[in-house]
Amino acid sequence: MRIASLSFRYGRRAPWVLRDAGLVLDPGDVVEVTGPNGTGKSTLLRLVAGLLRPVRGSVEDRPRVVGYAPERFPADQPFTVASYLRHMAAVRRVSTDAIGRWSERLGMDHLLGQRLPDLSKGSAHKVGLAQALLAEPGLLVLDEPFAGLDAATRAELPTIIEEVGARGGIVMVSDHQGDLRAFPGLRRCEVRDRAVRELEPVEETGESALTVLEVAVTASRAADLAERLRAEGCTVHVTGRITARAAGEAAG
Amino acid sequence: MTSVIALARFRVAGYVASHRALQPLIGLLALLAILYATAVPAGQEIAATADSAAMLVPVLAWAARGLLDTEPDEQRSVALSALGPRELVSGLLAAFSSLLVLTAVAEAALLARLAASPTLTVLLAGVWLHLLSAAAGLTLGALTSRPILPSPAVSTIALILGYLSMLVISLAGGRWLTVPVMGWMRDAHHGVLLTGLPLLTVQSVLWPAIGLAAYTWLRRTRP
Repeated sequence: MRIASLSFRYGRRAPWVLRDAGLVLDPGDVVEVTGPNGTGKSTLLRLVAGLLRPVRGSVEDRPRVVGYAPERFPADQPFTVASYLRHMAAVRRVSTDAIGRWSERLGMDHLLGQRLPDLSKGSAHKVGLAQALLAEPGLLVLDEPFAGLDAATRAELPTIIEEVGARGGIVMVSDHQGDLRAFPGLRRCEVRDRAVRELEPVEETGESALTVLEVAVTASRAADLAERLRAEGCTVHVTGRITARAAGEAAG
Repeated sequence: MTSVIALARFRVAGYVASHRALQPLIGLLALLAILYATAVPAGQEIAATADSAAMLVPVLAWAARGLLDTEPDEQRSVALSALGPRELVSGLLAAFSSLLVLTAVAEAALLARLAASPTLTVLLAGVWLHLLSAAAGLTLGALTSRPILPSPAVSTIALILGYLSMLVISLAGGRWLTVPVMGWMRDAHHGVLLTGLPLLTVQSVLWPAIGLAAYTWLRRTRP
């Protein structure tokens, strides 16, 4: 699958979100899309999934079956989880057996009888993931899939992604929390300044390859710096406030 | 095609379960109550059916828009990821099927209030006119649906103005310039509807065809 000279904006007078973006995705690729908020990660994912039409450029050789899980599952629908997934299975022309399989793997069997509007954010998110996975997609696009998930499903999702990749599917994931960092063979792309840039893959690391770097920064810049460091692949914990003097003493 | 029908069924189920289907149904029942407060006299069957078809257009447009707008935007994205451009066909199919139910209710009310039984020709012409009305309503509803006109206020005004322009232009005799809803009524009341029905059909289908082509074109960049 090839993304060639892709440019997009939401209106003729709107600013460009992406300009001349390019990327080649091979079967089995798992790609993590990073970047600060509002730079166009979700837009890139929607273009890749075929939900938006590029203003210029193209997305070529997109796999026939596309699974898309939005960042916020639209839970305001008058269905139970089971009836919603049955309808989606019919739309995808897959057996309803797949519903039971994915419900079990995503830890949502107990939710099947519940109405969609009654679900918590994390539970609704699981329904979004389940519908995307129902049809064994050749292209799986997941927008912030780890957000709001419980620990068991957070641990299961990389395995599911690995399985999709192993059977030749392409997986594209936007992920702020870095849950896929340890994923073997992960490709990483950053969306910044209207461009898509491929980052160096995270090295296969043992614990000895990691180091802890303490950085003191003005409180007002902390969030921005943390975001940039996360985009660079670092794990960042913002611990608290200290005075500049204390920081100097610590450095000395 | 099965996927298209399955998605249409999902959308109709959502529309009915959300109770949004009740709004145009109540509007239709109110309209029918006014239209058939008194029985339709013998000999007026074709005129009454043309009046019904012409006056139903805004109710049907309202229903079509309601069905297309029931689904949250992100759910439409999910449907688009599953079906690609056929998602649009599915939406129109779901909307048209819901309009058929409303036109069937209108036809049933009309038949119940006729003083004399209509001939088969008049009956079939009436069904045909209501199908033309459904096509006009579907087009107007689709063109004022949320992907095309995101503002509810603008959409409502556009729907009303769209129907008023149909009335005014066809009243002025511009049969090729809009869906000639006034032409339906005029021809029926003058007893020439059946003889001129083929031409009237072409005139009545022309603008829905153009409108739905415009809708399809606009939806390329308005998912």
